Amino acid sequence: MIYNIIHSLLREAVNLNAYGLFSFFLFFGFFLGVLIWAFALKKKDLDKMGAMPLDGGEKNSNHEIKS
Amino acid sequence: MNTNIETFKYDNRIVRAFAIATVVWGIVGMLVGLLAAVQLFFPDANLNLQFITFGRIRPLHTNAVIFAFVGNGMFMGIYYSLQRLCKARMFSDWLSWFNFWGWQTIIVAAAVTLPLGLTTSKEYAELEWPIKIAITIVWVAFAVNLFGTIVKRREKHMYVAIWFYIATVVTVAVLHITNSMTMPAGWFKSYSMYAGVQDALVQWWYGHNAVAFFLTTPYLGLMYYFLPKAANRPIFSYRLSIIHFWALVFLYIWAGPHHLLYSALPDWAQSLGMVFSLMLIAPSWGGMLNGLLTLRGAWDKVRSDPVLKFMVAAITAYGMATLEGPLLSIKTVNSLSHYTDWTIAHVHVGAMGWNGFLTFSMLYYLFPRLYNTKLWSTKLANYHFWIGMLGIVFYVVPIYIAGVTEGLMWKQFNKDGFLQYPNFLETILQVVPMFRLRAIGGTLYLAGAFMMAYNLYRTAKAGQFEPDTEAQAAALEKPPVVAGKSSWHRMVEGKPLFFTVLATVSILVGGLVEIVPMFLVQANVPTIGSVHPYTPLEVLGRDIYIREGCLGCHSQMIRPFRSETERYGEYSKAGESVYDHPFLWGSERKGPDLAREGGKYPAAWHYNHMDDPRSTSPGSIMPRYSWLLTQKMETDTLPSHLAALRRIGVPYPAGYENGPAQKDLQAQADKIVADLKLGSVKADSDKEIIALIAYLQRLGTDIKTTPVTTAAK
Repeated sequence: MIYNIIHSLLREAVNLNAYGLFSFFLFFGFFLGVLIWAFALKKKDLDKMGAMPLDGGEKNSNHEIKS
Repeated sequence: MNTNIETFKYDNRIVRAFAIATVVWGIVGMLVGLLAAVQLFFPDANLNLQFITFGRIRPLHTNAVIFAFVGNGMFMGIYYSLQRLCKARMFSDWLSWFNFWGWQTIIVAAAVTLPLGLTTSKEYAELEWPIKIAITIVWVAFAVNLFGTIVKRREKHMYVAIWFYIATVVTVAVLHITNSMTMPAGWFKSYSMYAGVQDALVQWWYGHNAVAFFLTTPYLGLMYYFLPKAANRPIFSYRLSIIHFWALVFLYIWAGPHHLLYSALPDWAQSLGMVFSLMLIAPSWGGMLNGLLTLRGAWDKVRSDPVLKFMVAAITAYGMATLEGPLLSIKTVNSLSHYTDWTIAHVHVGAMGWNGFLTFSMLYYLFPRLYNTKLWSTKLANYHFWIGMLGIVFYVVPIYIAGVTEGLMWKQFNKDGFLQYPNFLETILQVVPMFRLRAIGGTLYLAGAFMMAYNLYRTAKAGQFEPDTEAQAAALEKPPVVAGKSSWHRMVEGKPLFFTVLATVSILVGGLVEIVPMFLVQANVPTIGSVHPYTPLEVLGRDIYIREGCLGCHSQMIRPFRSETERYGEYSKAGESVYDHPFLWGSERKGPDLAREGGKYPAAWHYNHMDDPRSTSPGSIMPRYSWLLTQKMETDTLPSHLAALRRIGVPYPAGYENGPAQKDLQAQADKIVADLKLGSVKADSDKEIIALIAYLQRLGTDIKTTPVTTAAK
């Protein structure tokens, strides 16, 4: 049902054939997977990973000094 | 907890080397661009020298800014950030320096061969096959060094910037190898293995993704490293960066066909290109917002810190370019914008704003740190920012106006149903003032780059270079696997090989789905019985057409619009290009389309036009090609050229190149000389102009003389 609706919408909108629809749904599935993947991550881990550039491990260097 | 703290050193020498190369090649590339821009309103600026004529230096400019300026900037940023994100020195200093000197040698080779006219003609892939092999070797060295460093890292997690670097390394390798499939016909001459519509699809799959994976993904990785570093705060949303990465690498590879809308490419491929281009807005803007929101609470710093100032402008330009790109991929918008200067304006928002400004910000960030001092003049860097911004505005605004003007004038009909501007020259002369303004914009931008070079030089003089930076980190004792229900992505990120395979599959899917059917399904390339291979003289003429970069200004693809068929003739069919190794459809019109040029004018008109375009077309901005009238055509190489073409499928009879071809060549040349005499032009049959006239007179005539097979349909 949903497939048919999207199919007819896309067909009319951009004249996509079944090949194009296959491609579209391939991406849609992939994107959905990535979303689930990303939202399943723990906030603690995300915060730690996001801050990685801030610690370069340099000793007494101006690489950490602001310009 | 691991208490085994190790002390090691980061290599700054290689970062400095790439930084200096970035500045030097950036200025060179922009200077060449300025020279090309000036020739568009003052054609004699080429000093009547073939080596610095627009058609030859346009690819020199694009290659210099993409691969020399941005390429060196990319290596600079990666070599700096990768070591620090992995908490490890580069895997091999020898490979680092091989990468550096190999890349500079390739750039010098490009700077020599392109002005000499040694080119494949495929945009951003113009370099001939020995240089292509060198690129492959240097790229492999870079890849080994990158993966070696990742393997020996002291940090479990691979930060998002590294994912972008991995995607870049893998995809550029796939693109470069696929699009470089050529048949050598000498040391510096080759023919694309693919022909016509197939060559076009592979080329623009490559061309679009060269933008995506050379100018975008590595720079996004650099943004994800240098922006938090400069703002001294973590990235706004790491979750968003995961979605940004995967969606972008999966989607980008599909979008190439949007460069071929309304061309002879099958409709299904055009639609795929358009739809996936539109979807690209989402991840691109996700990345842009992630960057800008990183600065929340730190906008006060943007006012004073030139590094952040350049970064904010760069990320904004990225957002603008990645919104505009998908909009230009909508077929109706593209029907107006394609072949016009609108595209040039679009790419310069990306190149000058995104790549240029992000590179400048990295240079301003790195020099004080590499030389253990402060930036010599923050004030001068701020001036650079504003003059650079003015440069971009003065560059792109006139060219946007020029692009829209061209598109509208080409399509305009009068009330009687005839073209309002049937003479193409009228439409170009209308926008010449915009070309002048564009050159002023380019000059301002270049002036800013000189200011930066001076500022960085004074910074280096004031400080003391730190060849190595000592660092400490705990050793990695176990393989970087993190267990747990919700840590699948963390596990994947911890395994570089598995991660690389996943990223490779993501980029391959789109490429395969589009390219494989084009080669396997016969219906995608309908043949036309009357289309036959080029004669030997026409092959030589085509080689000259390629050498002079004629396709930089003249397309050979008439789109199926009434405004185009009225102006140029029957629209172009896929079957007409089946012997075109490489395809020469072009992407830009500074002169009229030439797909149906054959027989339009007498031979003498072409002769006089090449000698002095303004003698036949008053006001023309085309350069003079007077050297074609005096230079002898190279017939010694004809056998190897014909043999190479036969090897890739052009049906020349066996042995044709050893005797019969030369006889045919002479007979056709004599006929053209006779035609020229009718126009009171006396010419020798062995001059290059004869071959070029033969080629131009052939263009589009295959289906002019015989009814088109598709017409019955």
